[in-house]
Amino acid sequence: MTKSKEHFDEDMDLRIPSKLSADLNALFEPQVGIPPEVDRAVMDRAHKHLSPLQSDKRKRLRIHWDWRIAAAAAVIILAFSLDLTKQPERTTERLTLSKTQAVDIDRNGRVDILDAFKLARHIESADRTETEWDFNGDGLIDRSDVDVVAFAAVRLDKGV
Amino acid sequence: MNKITSIILTIVFVIVPVLARQSEQSQGLLTEDYSTAQPKVRFAPLHIYLETCNLLAAYQFELKATAGQIKIVGVEGGEHDAFKEAPYYDKAALMKERIIIAAFSTGRDLPTDRTRIATIHLQIIGDAEPEYELKLIVAADADGKELPAGIIFEKGE
Repeated sequence: MTKSKEHFDEDMDLRIPSKLSADLNALFEPQVGIPPEVDRAVMDRAHKHLSPLQSDKRKRLRIHWDWRIAAAAAVIILAFSLDLTKQPERTTERLTLSKTQAVDIDRNGRVDILDAFKLARHIESADRTETEWDFNGDGLIDRSDVDVVAFAAVRLDKGV
Repeated sequence: MNKITSIILTIVFVIVPVLARQSEQSQGLLTEDYSTAQPKVRFAPLHIYLETCNLLAAYQFELKATAGQIKIVGVEGGEHDAFKEAPYYDKAALMKERIIIAAFSTGRDLPTDRTRIATIHLQIIGDAEPEYELKLIVAADADGKELPAGIIFEKGE
């Protein structure tokens, strides 16, 4: 017992040798640096995998913009073809028989340009005007009412 | 769907309205056609003059073709500032052979003597020289009083 115990009773150095310790540390030490060739290979594979998806996304965006540009061009062309800058032309207003009698401003039994002329002079000189002279019904007696009378005077189916 | 498709679409959107407009215009006016079946078509202005001995402030006249084939395609104002703007006329007269034209001015600067009051642009179809009937309906001074006046027309080139 004492002999075996002597083995254990001896002043044993329980520390592991320094070389073993260094080797074990190197073995289990975390790998911080990635070799450049490995890094490059991984990036290449990732790029190959992801680039079709990105190009699809870019294609979709391009399609989106192409349609917008085409639609904008169509609107511009349509606007020019409609010629929206042209001012609306004066149109002939058709009058009922009672209104036809009303536009005979000078009451000479005939509707002609002198009726429009008389109304225009009344308006310009701010003379008293008759409410029945509001031929377009906008509540005002102005140049547009003069136009109504003038167009009534030049109507082809009037028979003056 | 790529750039080529968007370019094609844009071209289509350009061509269609242009073609539509061209077909509208060609329906209204006859173009000069060199085939023997189509009549000759030309355009000519007709200048209308009024002669008064007093200041002219308002006029109204009627023009119609009594011979030949014409279509009225436009109306223009006169030479004096008082009647420079396009006169009143019925749009229904365009592309027809009869028109009533009138205008007035409330300004102080008015013409007297002989003055061109309007120009009517005509489309003349065929070789027959057209003849016209021009009737003065009324001419008046600044007070709206009727004036004696003479009306004539001159054919332009």
